[in-house]
Amino acid sequence: MVKYVLKRLGYLVIVFLIVSLMMFAIYNLIPSDPARTEAEKLRQADRNMTPEQFEAIYQNLREQYGLNDPLIERYARWMGFIPDLPDSQGNAVHNGLLQGNLGYSQFYKIDVIDQIGAPMENTIILNVVDVIITLAITIPLGIFCAVRKRSKIDNAVQVVTIVGNSIPQFIVAIVFIYIFAVLLGWFPVGGAETPGASFDSEFERLLDRLYHMALPVLVMVFSGMAGMTRMVRAAMIDNLSMDYVRTARAKGLNEKVVIYSHAWRNALLPVITSIIGWFLSIFSGSVVIEQTFSLNGMGYLYWVGLRNFDYELVLAMQMFYVVVALIGNLITDLSYGLVDPRVRVNK
Amino acid sequence: MEKNKKKGSRFGRWINRLFFPQKEIQDIMKEEQVAGPVKTIIKNFTHKRLAMAALFIFIFILLFVVIGPYIWPIDLGYADESQKYIPPGMNMLSLPSDLVKTGIRDIAPGTTFGLGVDVNGDLYTWGHTAATGVIDLADIPEEVKNANIVHISAGDDHVVAVDDNNIVYAWGNDRLGQCTFPQEIQESNENGGTINVKQIEAGYQFTLLLTEDGYVYAWGNRSMCDIRIKDDYQGRVEKIVTTYYEHMALLDDGSVAYIGYKNDSAVRTQIPEEVMQPGTVEDICATKDSCAVVTTDGRILTWGNVATKGLDKVPQDKEGQKPVELYGGRYHYAAIYEDGEVVCWGDNTHGQCDIPESVNNGEPIATIYAGFYQNYAVTESGKVDTWGLRGYLLGTDELGRDVFTRIVHGGSVTMTVGAVAVLISLVIGVILGGLAGYFGGQVDNIIMRIAEIIGSLPFIPFAMILSSVMSNIQINGQALTTQQKMYVIMVVLGILSWTGLCRLIRAQIFAQREFEYVTAAKTMGLREGKIVFKHILPNVMSVVLVSVTLSFASSMLTESSLSYLGFGIPAPQPTWGNLLTGANNSTVIQQYWWNWVFTSLIFGITTISINLIGDGIRDAIDPKSADR
Repeated sequence: MVKYVLKRLGYLVIVFLIVSLMMFAIYNLIPSDPARTEAEKLRQADRNMTPEQFEAIYQNLREQYGLNDPLIERYARWMGFIPDLPDSQGNAVHNGLLQGNLGYSQFYKIDVIDQIGAPMENTIILNVVDVIITLAITIPLGIFCAVRKRSKIDNAVQVVTIVGNSIPQFIVAIVFIYIFAVLLGWFPVGGAETPGASFDSEFERLLDRLYHMALPVLVMVFSGMAGMTRMVRAAMIDNLSMDYVRTARAKGLNEKVVIYSHAWRNALLPVITSIIGWFLSIFSGSVVIEQTFSLNGMGYLYWVGLRNFDYELVLAMQMFYVVVALIGNLITDLSYGLVDPRVRVNK
Repeated sequence: MEKNKKKGSRFGRWINRLFFPQKEIQDIMKEEQVAGPVKTIIKNFTHKRLAMAALFIFIFILLFVVIGPYIWPIDLGYADESQKYIPPGMNMLSLPSDLVKTGIRDIAPGTTFGLGVDVNGDLYTWGHTAATGVIDLADIPEEVKNANIVHISAGDDHVVAVDDNNIVYAWGNDRLGQCTFPQEIQESNENGGTINVKQIEAGYQFTLLLTEDGYVYAWGNRSMCDIRIKDDYQGRVEKIVTTYYEHMALLDDGSVAYIGYKNDSAVRTQIPEEVMQPGTVEDICATKDSCAVVTTDGRILTWGNVATKGLDKVPQDKEGQKPVELYGGRYHYAAIYEDGEVVCWGDNTHGQCDIPESVNNGEPIATIYAGFYQNYAVTESGKVDTWGLRGYLLGTDELGRDVFTRIVHGGSVTMTVGAVAVLISLVIGVILGGLAGYFGGQVDNIIMRIAEIIGSLPFIPFAMILSSVMSNIQINGQALTTQQKMYVIMVVLGILSWTGLCRLIRAQIFAQREFEYVTAAKTMGLREGKIVFKHILPNVMSVVLVSVTLSFASSMLTESSLSYLGFGIPAPQPTWGNLLTGANNSTVIQQYWWNWVFTSLIFGITTISINLIGDGIRDAIDPKSADR
């Protein structure tokens, strides 16, 4: 088991390196030239500059920024494998992703690492609430539908889940804004908190934020419900038709005991693994939801960054997404083995 | 006896066979009939009512978006401020029957509405009269209702009228002073109409008034519109016409002159020398930024911004006939010739030039009221024929573009992108999945690792960055065109979404390898490659079909999500996603509901039916799965 985990971790590192190199290369395809931008600024300041002087300054700047170096060298510098270019004092230090330097956001004019804090907080609150509510609804609903298979309620739930699964999230969001924010006026249309409000306590502030998140959560629950309900239902139906359930019933056990103690425990296996994988996505946030509700979360930050060509920010966030996804995969795989002893993971 | 019995029974059988040929055998055949798997699947599928209904709906929508673009073509560059946020409706040319019955005195065609005066001086309105959220031009002031109106004219969002006592009225948007009369007019109104009004014209954001003495008053938006009149021309003006920001006058000596101060406008700088000579011009009219005149020798001359909308293409087949009267809409002209025939030319986006049959074949036309996109031809007996913009079936968006046409074209783009993306992912998935399943071992390992890496990347963010980077790449110093960006999105979606299919095919091939027919094929000495691609793959295809159907829907969802976020297909080219980009603010959601309701509906119905079809096929292939 330990050997397997180590192997997987090593594999994870390799994948991360490949993906980061890929991302860095894609990022470098963008026609942008900081050296030229800087040289143009100098030319603006000094009108008498000759084209030769300009060219010299430009080439000098390119050298200074390391733009003439091969891609792999720049990548290694960005990752922090080799020392950064020497500064004015001639000191060269490792200053890359591995040293915790996520880069500098051109749009926010602030280090990326300082920019990510608040959005991350919003995203985590939003997603935790969403996951809890979704699970609280879908698991009982799935069990209920499996037990009452082909009943009217089951059929109705099936239809609702197909609709929820089929309609794009942004349409659900628009319809929900129309119903709950515009028509009924229950929730605010967007934003993360009441602008300009002062709160007596942290608790009130949290309440205000939760109030603003109510509608996004509602939308996320509605469109996220479908998959989980169907999964729980399918797993339960599978298990309810098993021999051990028939045996339990034949023993004369209470139907409740059969369902919750026997069938549900076994049906839990496939469900729990996907829940664990799903749980990691709470850090990533949803671009569509956060953009539609102008909620300052990770997805919204990513959208703003990409909109404003703030590629250093976007690249750092992309790397973060990849790490979250890879760890999520690993944990999902491991949890298969932990939850279900029949599955041997080290194969 | 025994023999006879046997004979009898044989005879009986023979009789039976003669009269009821092979009935028994047929029954047995029916019972044990073995249909091919495809036939069974189709039969199972056709028995599912929900899936069949979904299939019919989907085919209907598919035909709609495939054929639709040819029936309702789109001009991607089209935008018209005056047509923005018009609610659904087709009543812009619906004259009240009372007006026609009583007799028409004057009609003022507006941007999206019309106003009429009957011979008793009563006012009627029709069409979409709510010019802004607060101003409704149908809210006619009380004193106007009581007055006997003789002439009326409509601008973009204001209306002016004159009654038989020469009192001038104006209502509507007064933000730029288009309804605020100058001192002289106010005094005249107060003194019971001392100025004899000959003509009144409402322009875009200004108003012109011509007196019987040939004197012109102008008021309205000072900064945009030319509302100062040169003193040299005062007292000499015969007729005035308004373009969007300017105006043009026919002087009493039969020449055309620009009587304002603006120097740079196309209608001023391009006036033909000829029409500035006295005695050359009989009638004048104007569109949004061009003018046309009828010369004394019966020719029609146009100038200004005429080339883009084909306004200079005066029909030549009326050679020798003299135009009697000339009328201008926003982008089109209409003319009545000596023989009574009506001719239209210019822009035909809203059918402004589609003259109905009855106009030229019926009674002689007395006059035409043309303006913006509307035409009203009144016959000598008072009947009215209308043509032009009747309204918008599903309303218009923030740039005045027809939502219906955009939904049709958006649907075809979204479906094309979805289909091509699925095709790309299918090709990659089948090839790689087949290879992994066929070779197994190291090849399988590598392919599966690649699939794992790509599959583990968060889809939307990765697609966003790819499409953003790809769209910013310049090829030979040229930015990508919309068409090329569309291909980029197709490829990006295809490249990112093949992993599921690849895994499915690989797993299926591994499972199928254990079946007897593969063993049989092996014992027959077939090559491994032939077994995989010729024997196993066709058996897998039904499962693949389900996956392809479902991923077609999800492909459409991803494309629309990307376009909605602004990283898909860019704006002038409609898709179902970017049609909804403008809809995520509460004003649009609440007030301009037609901007999102219809798109959401048709998109929702499409994806739901595709998913239902996919589910239906899956149940048809594997009836056991229906129990789940």
